[in-house]
Amino acid sequence: MISLRQVVKRFRDVDEEHVVLDRLDLEVRAGEFVAVVGASGSGKSTLLYIVGGLDADFEGEAVVAGRRLGELGARGRAAFRNEAVGFVFQSFNLLPALPAVENVMLPGLFVPPGRPAPSLSELRGRALEALEQVGLREKAGRLPARLSGGERQRVAIARALLSRPALLLADEPTGNLDATSGESVIALFGGMVARGMTVLVVTHEERVSAAAGRVLHLEDGRLR
Amino acid sequence: MRTRALVHLATLNLRSDRRGALVNAGAACLGAAALVFFVALGIGVGQAARRMFAGDARLVEVVPAAVSLGGALGGGQLDDGAVERLGGLPGVEAAYRRLSLRVPVAASRAPEGVKVNWPPGFTVQVPIVGVDPGLLAGDVARGLRFEDPPPGGAIPVLASRRLVEVYNKTIAPAWNLRRLPPGLDLVGLEFPVRVGFSIIPLKTEDRVYDARLLLAGLSERVPLYSLAVPLATVRRLHAEYGKVDPGYTGVTLEVRRPDDVPRVVAAVRGMGFGVDEGERAIAERVGLAIAVTAGALALLALLMTALAALAIAQSLSASVRARTRDIAVLEALGATAGDVRAMVLAEAGLVGATGGLAGVALARVAALVADRAALGALPDFPFRPETFFSFPAWLYVLGVAISLGAALVGALAPAAAAARVDPARAVA
Repeated sequence: MISLRQVVKRFRDVDEEHVVLDRLDLEVRAGEFVAVVGASGSGKSTLLYIVGGLDADFEGEAVVAGRRLGELGARGRAAFRNEAVGFVFQSFNLLPALPAVENVMLPGLFVPPGRPAPSLSELRGRALEALEQVGLREKAGRLPARLSGGERQRVAIARALLSRPALLLADEPTGNLDATSGESVIALFGGMVARGMTVLVVTHEERVSAAAGRVLHLEDGRLR
Repeated sequence: MRTRALVHLATLNLRSDRRGALVNAGAACLGAAALVFFVALGIGVGQAARRMFAGDARLVEVVPAAVSLGGALGGGQLDDGAVERLGGLPGVEAAYRRLSLRVPVAASRAPEGVKVNWPPGFTVQVPIVGVDPGLLAGDVARGLRFEDPPPGGAIPVLASRRLVEVYNKTIAPAWNLRRLPPGLDLVGLEFPVRVGFSIIPLKTEDRVYDARLLLAGLSERVPLYSLAVPLATVRRLHAEYGKVDPGYTGVTLEVRRPDDVPRVVAAVRGMGFGVDEGERAIAERVGLAIAVTAGALALLALLMTALAALAIAQSLSASVRARTRDIAVLEALGATAGDVRAMVLAEAGLVGATGGLAGVALARVAALVADRAALGALPDFPFRPETFFSFPAWLYVLGVAISLGAALVGALAPAAAAARVDPARAVA
């Protein structure tokens, strides 16, 4: 599902260059639940954004869900993010003015050209199904501000599931949650993996890495 | 992104910032309303002026020069030779002769068949001009003929279309006379007159006899102050009363296209004749004044629209800055830079279109209020319009299009800024 070879990511400061990922290799098979752990600033999120096609400015080879990311243009990467990947962020990143169901519907509005686009009512139906899967159907009409942290993250997970992607990328998904909410999110990830989905999660929390099938440590720009 | 999805997303975004959307739509609305209002006013007042100073744009009235050296410089009298030369000028389609009747004609009784409380002893001198029938052929009522009648027959006359309006709005109220029915209801009526009689002392001819004038039609080509009869009738009356015709009073040239008029006027003046610009000059001056005023006001309205575009640009820029993370999230979910640009433009487009529609409606309401106020304050005068505004269909389209265009232009920079958002940095 994920194959990174000799990936290098540099950040340029004013007159200094920092190598965040240094000839990094990563192999993740389909259906695996992999956790990447490491200290703050070690490049975990950067790795996730490269795998998810959000960051195209890297060296090396990245093949994810059968697509060579280095060869994709901006439109191709957008289509890749829409179809193949679901993102879950630490700070949920829900649009505050939209009710939960509208937030979940968002990926369906950006179906790439050439693919059948669902109608708005179909999309709403699928969004409600996704909310059902995370146990929040009854709160579909609520604005994010009227949901708890755990509920917001479950809405974000429902949004990531809408396009039925093969790969879920989660960036510190339990970082802003209490223990109970964190457990429920981890349980959701477990359920997804059980249904054949690949989950790559970056975290510094032991409870998350403990649930993963494989744990990788990111140190000095490389995975160990 | 599909259009339906785009509109849905733009609507959601606007709904989330109702206040900003309303302020922007209000700015676009005011700009569009001002533009539509002033352009409609310009068109409406222009139309009213044209009704007031109606003139055929293809006619040139040639008169003998005010100061003439006879035929030495080719000008002088308007005789048949001159008429022939004028008719041969490039661009001239026809030349029609005019000859004022120098035998006085007066009316001392009301027209037959019309109830008018004609004051006892009231006599009206009737100015009459003879014209070539071809000039008025199109305005003669069906079944009537515009030619010199046989002895004892009623003389056909054509009156200015505007005469009835002037009579009803000024003469009738001033003299406490009954108002005349409009337009064609009068055609076919006969007016008893006394030929040779003048209300001016010593101007009455030796021979005075009763005759009848038959109103054969109404025409814009007849001067407001006189009645037109066939040229042959004037010649006959002049012969009867021993009046010599040294030349015609005037010649009306009909040119092929209104654009030819300036060239023909120059050629006529070059021949040593004068051109009576009369009502046409007034109409042109009034029209120009209206066009300049309406143009200036429309320019002001365009400036307002440009300010609305600036307001929208500023507001959308702030909105895009505030939504940087949201935009990055949309990109993470699959939106392309083009989708983001289209989304911001669609928001502006919805605001502009809504503002434009509201502006057009506001302009109509403002015009209604202005009409009521103006018509309530103004006295009843000839050709007083029922409205000072005209709203052709294209003006509605223009109002909405300008508003939409201003909003889209205002949104270009914010949309470009939104499309440049780096999702990897913004969601982190």
